Formats: sequence, structure tokens, C-alpha cells
Amino acid sequence: MKIYVCIKQVPDVNAPLQIKDGALIQDADRNILNAYDASAVEAALVLQEKHGGEIEVVLIGNDKARETIRKALAMGADSGVFIQEQIDTLYDSYSYASLLAAFFKDKEYDYIFCGKQSQDTDAGLTGSMLAELLGLPFVTNAVWLEYSGNSLTVKRQGDTGQEVIELPSPGLVTCSNDMNDPRIPNLKGIMQSKRKPVETISVNELGADRLAVKTTILGYEEKPAREPGKKYEGEPDEIARQVARLLDEAENVI
Amino acid sequence: MSTLLTYISVNDGKIKRSSLEVLSRCNELAEQHNLISAAIIIDKDAAGLAKQLKAYGPSVIYIIEDPVFKNHLNTPLIRALSLAIEKINPNILAFASTEGSKDILGALSANRGAASLSDVSEFELTDTGVKAKRPVMASKIISAVEANDSLVLITVRSGSYDAVEHPADSKIEEIPFTIDDIDLKMILKEIITASGDKIDLSEAETVIAAGRGVKDEEGRKLIDELASVLNAGIGASRALTEAGVYDPSLQIGQTGKVVSPQLYIGIGISGAIQHVAGMANSKVIVAINKDPDAPIFDIADYGIVGDLYKILPPFIEELKKIKSN
Ligand SMILES: Cc1cc2nc3c(=O)[nH]c(=O)nc-3n(C[C@H](O)[C@H](O)[C@H](O)COP(=O)(O)OP(=O)(O)OC[C@H]3O[C@@H](n4cnc5c(N)ncnc54)[C@H](O)[C@@H]3O)c2cc1C
Ligand SMILES: Nc1ncnc2c1ncn2[C@@H]1O[C@H](COP(=O)(O)O)[C@@H](O)[C@H]1O
Repeated sequence: MKIYVCIKQVPDVNAPLQIKDGALIQDADRNILNAYDASAVEAALVLQEKHGGEIEVVLIGNDKARETIRKALAMGADSGVFIQEQIDTLYDSYSYASLLAAFFKDKEYDYIFCGKQSQDTDAGLTGSMLAELLGLPFVTNAVWLEYSGNSLTVKRQGDTGQEVIELPSPGLVTCSNDMNDPRIPNLKGIMQSKRKPVETISVNELGADRLAVKTTILGYEEKPAREPGKKYEGEPDEIARQVARLLDEAENVI
Repeated sequence: MSTLLTYISVNDGKIKRSSLEVLSRCNELAEQHNLISAAIIIDKDAAGLAKQLKAYGPSVIYIIEDPVFKNHLNTPLIRALSLAIEKINPNILAFASTEGSKDILGALSANRGAASLSDVSEFELTDTGVKAKRPVMASKIISAVEANDSLVLITVRSGSYDAVEHPADSKIEEIPFTIDDIDLKMILKEIITASGDKIDLSEAETVIAAGRGVKDEEGRKLIDELASVLNAGIGASRALTEAGVYDPSLQIGQTGKVVSPQLYIGIGISGAIQHVAGMANSKVIVAINKDPDAPIFDIADYGIVGDLYKILPPFIEELKKIKSN
């Protein structure tokens, strides 16, 4: 079985950030493998342990993002493709999906795994865009999966419950982090990752429409601040009753 | 004249309030810009639901009715919406942000070559498209975005707008639809529904959220009792959905659901940004936590510092007293 996992480098949302004149200022050194993609890599590794096959990760990014491929290789993926991005364009999900579609056009695979969304933007679009562009059946927001030998059974978290879907190959799955706990690479994995092959392709070589950008970020704003509330400390019985009464009398929400 | 089309989400045979919120916003924009506000219902009983929708007054209600829409499955829904877009040619197709609409947004956007903006908290029309706001960085900040395209697809967070009744004699128009079994490459085998979660969290007026501090059966009983006194929906942090204590569909936050109730009570929850991302828009936030430095106290209107096992019994008792008066 051949599985491709699309991975992305994202800024760490836990790092401090600042907005200056509408621009977002972040620590350029605090970038991580998108948590949802780490779950996608983990899911592929678990399938491989049971059913064999090959896992290749694909990342579109600038030079700094290359290190994120190493992270996935250290987790256990077999090889990587680094699609080197032009830094003059602000890509959105549509452009990433178009580039990935151009990459996958002449590839053979059983499944493509993506993260369900980017942790920094929460867009959640690329995976299903890519599936549509490639004409693949797809399942988003997967929380569990199993391989039967010729198709995947996927549970997706839906609005009213978990939908159990049989997805033939080739197909595409977007993974939730509710699926698993991604492994932390050990020393052996890290050493091995240095010898694993990573192919580099430039965006121009893909011959895709580089400017398939459909949305533009105009700027960033602070969230409207909440008035700081009050803390109630002391005798549990007293403060519990006091707050209960305030919720009724002062807030009228009981 | 161009059309603003709202997709009406249906759950368990009922129209979801969050899609009425989106429809109300589109009604308002249509009036301001002299456009047509229309709605589309795609369901096995679409005609019946269309009658109910007249209370929210779009000019036209399009329906697509087929047994295949009994349960959510992305392929037929994308096919139906694509057909509707061809026929109606709207400038905007707006959805409430649900797991169902998030499932198809990207694919539909690629299918139509249309721009898409997901999970917006505000949107308005410009001369050339749509301008919107989206919470980003685990909802720590807001990004202002723009999409200039002849068709823009948008999903809107629940609670972003009020659902406003606006009765009208909407015209109901059916769009003929067929799908072959062969088209359904994937098969929906089963739906596993969580038992007991009767109240839809994303629309609940009161939400009780349990976190890792709720350690045992006794704690869960207290949560249940509080929820029943307040007629509240029960949600949970990832710590407890991951541990299998609560059903994954009850997770509130970046991975889970976004809630915007009048009252949110977080119990034994630290207030990690990924959890806060899903509840920060609650009107009144109460937190019960034994750690006075827990980050949730930074956003709580009422922060009760204490052991939940000691706080909840008198809290519940007092609320019962208030309720019985
Ligand atoms: C990409 C990503 C997405 C995520 N999405 C989500 C999401 O959607 N939803 C979500 O919730 N999390 C999400 N998380 C996880 C999140 O970061 C936190 O790990 C999680 O919210 C912690 O849950 P908690 O507050 O219950 O547990 P903890 O952080 O362990 O906090 C437990 C709290 O309980 C208090 N406590 C303990 N005992 C008692 C007692 N007896 N009485 C009173 N208080 C007590 C403690 O003081 C502590 O503050 C996500 C993480 C990532 C990386
Ligand atoms: N630059 C990229 N390189 C590889 N995969 C990507 C890239 N951008 C997005 N993806 C995939 O799409 C998912 C996120 O989509 P979105 O939320 O639309 O940004 C990620 O989890 C990846 O699987």
C-alpha cells in the first residue's frame, strides 16, 4: 500500500504574538508540524505496521519548512517530497490544493492523507479541494480508521454522531487529532531520518497555476477584550451560593 | 438581480438555528444592497421543511428532495449544490458552519472554481465580492479577509448573528435531481450516535463543560445533576473526550465544537487556548477550578476558586432553590 501524507509547517499558536499596524508579528523560529498532520502521519504509520507498504510525505513551503519533513521522517515515514515555494505569493488553501493536485496528477497511490485543518488558520479546505481536483472520493474529520485489505473503513465525526464510511482506493482522508496520539521521534528515528531520501521540486516545475489564489488577508486585529471578571475565594458553601444568586439576580441567566 | 443563497442545515428533521442566523444575515444584506435572498433545502423531506422556513422569509426557497439525503454523505450533496449553483447562479452561497458543511466546502469550491471562506464570524458584501472576519491562531486574534470572485462560498460560526423572524410568502421551487448508485463511490455503513446528548451543544442556551478535574463517577453525577437543573447541554474538554469519559461529539474547542451560549460553566477545566477557542463567545462565563492561577480565570466573569466536589453540591442546591421560586 502506498500512502502519501500532505504535511504543513505552521507557526506555533502557543508562542507569543503581536499585531503591529495590522501585521502579525510572530517568532519566526517557532514553527511546528501541524498537529493534525502529525496525526495523519501517525495514522499512516499504524497502517503500515499492520499491512506493510510505503509512506511518503509531501510538503509545500519555503526553505525553513524543510525541517518539518525531517520530523515526519523521524517519526517513521519512508521518504519526502519538498515542493519549494515562491516567497513572493501569499498562498491560500486553493493555491496549495492546486499545487498538490499538479504534483499528484501522474502519481500512483492507494490513499492520500491530509490534516483536517491548519492549526494556525483553521481553514479546513485544502484536503477536500485536493480530492475534488483529483476526482477522488474523500472523508473529512476522520477520528478512526482500519484497512481491510482492499478498502479503508473510516469513522468521521459528524454533526450528530460518528459516520462509518467505507472508502475505496484511491481515496483521500483528512485526519482529526482525535484520531491518535502522534509518536515523539526517538533518537534512532532521528538518526535514520537523515539518510532517508527527500526529493526537491520547485513550484515552477509543477507547471501549476501559481497564482490560483482566491482569498486575500487584509490584516489582523485584536479580539474585542472581555472585561476581567471577579474571583471568588473562601468558604466553598458560601462562594458557591453567592455566585449562583448573582447568576440569577445580576445576570438573569438562570 | 443577483442572489444571496443560504443553505439550510437540517438535523434530525429540524432546521438548525445556526442556518437561520445565516439566512437572517443574508436577508439583511439583500435588503441593503437590493439583491435577492434565497434559501436552499436539500433533504429527504425538503418540501415540508420549506413551509416552516417561510417564517424567516427568503424570497425563494429552492428544494432538492431525494431519499439519498436521509444522512449526510458528501458526494450527493456536492452534486446537488453544484446543480443548484448552475441553475441559480448566486453570488454568495452561505452555510452555517457545521461538520456537514465543512465536509463539502473545499470540494464544492474546487468543483465550481469558486473562492471560499470558512468559519467566519462576520461578513459583508463589497462591490467585487465578500469581506469577512475569521478568528485565527486558535482564536487568539481576528484576521480580516477578502474574496473577490463571481461566486464566494462561506461558512459562518454559530452565534455570529441573530435569527430574526421575517414572515413572507416565499416562492417554493423544486430542482429536479437524480443520482446513480455508481456515483456513490463510498458507502455509509452506519451512524454511531451518542446516547443521551439530546441538547444540541452548538445551539444550547446553557452549556456545562467538564474537564480533567472531573475525575470519577461522583464528579460526572454532579455534572449531570447541574445540567438537569439548568436544562443545559453537556460538553467536555479534550482531556475527557480523549479519555473516553465523554463522547467525542461533546468536545468544545478548536478541534471540537464552537458554542456561544448565554451561560457557560467550565468545571475542572484549565482554559487551554484550544478549548477557549470554542467558548470565548459565551455571554457569561463561570469557571470552577481549584488552581487560582488557572488561565480560565483570565476570561471568566465569575471565577470560583475551589474543589469542584465541594463547590458543586451547594451550588446545585442554591440553583434548585432559585428555580423553584
Ligand atoms: C491542535 C489542538 C487542538 C485541540 N483542540 C481542543 C479542543 O477542541 N478542545 C479542548 O478542550 N482541548 C483541545 N486541545 C487540548 C488542549 O490544549 C488542552 O490539553 C485541554 O483543553 C486540557 O483539558 P482540561 O482543561 O480538561 O485539562 P487540564 O489542562 O489538565 O486541566 C485540568 C484542570 O482541572 C483543575 N482541577 C483538578 N482537580 C480539580 C478539582 N477537584 N476541583 C476543581 N478543579 C480541579 C486543575 O486545576 C486544572 O486546571 C487541543 C490541542 C491541540 C494541540
Ligand atoms: N503547504 C502545504 N504543504 C502540504 N500540505 C498542505 C499544505 N497546506 C495545506 N496542506 C494540507 O492541507 C491541510 C490543511 O488545510 P487548510 O486548513 O485548508 O490549510 C493540512 O493539514 C495538510 O494536510
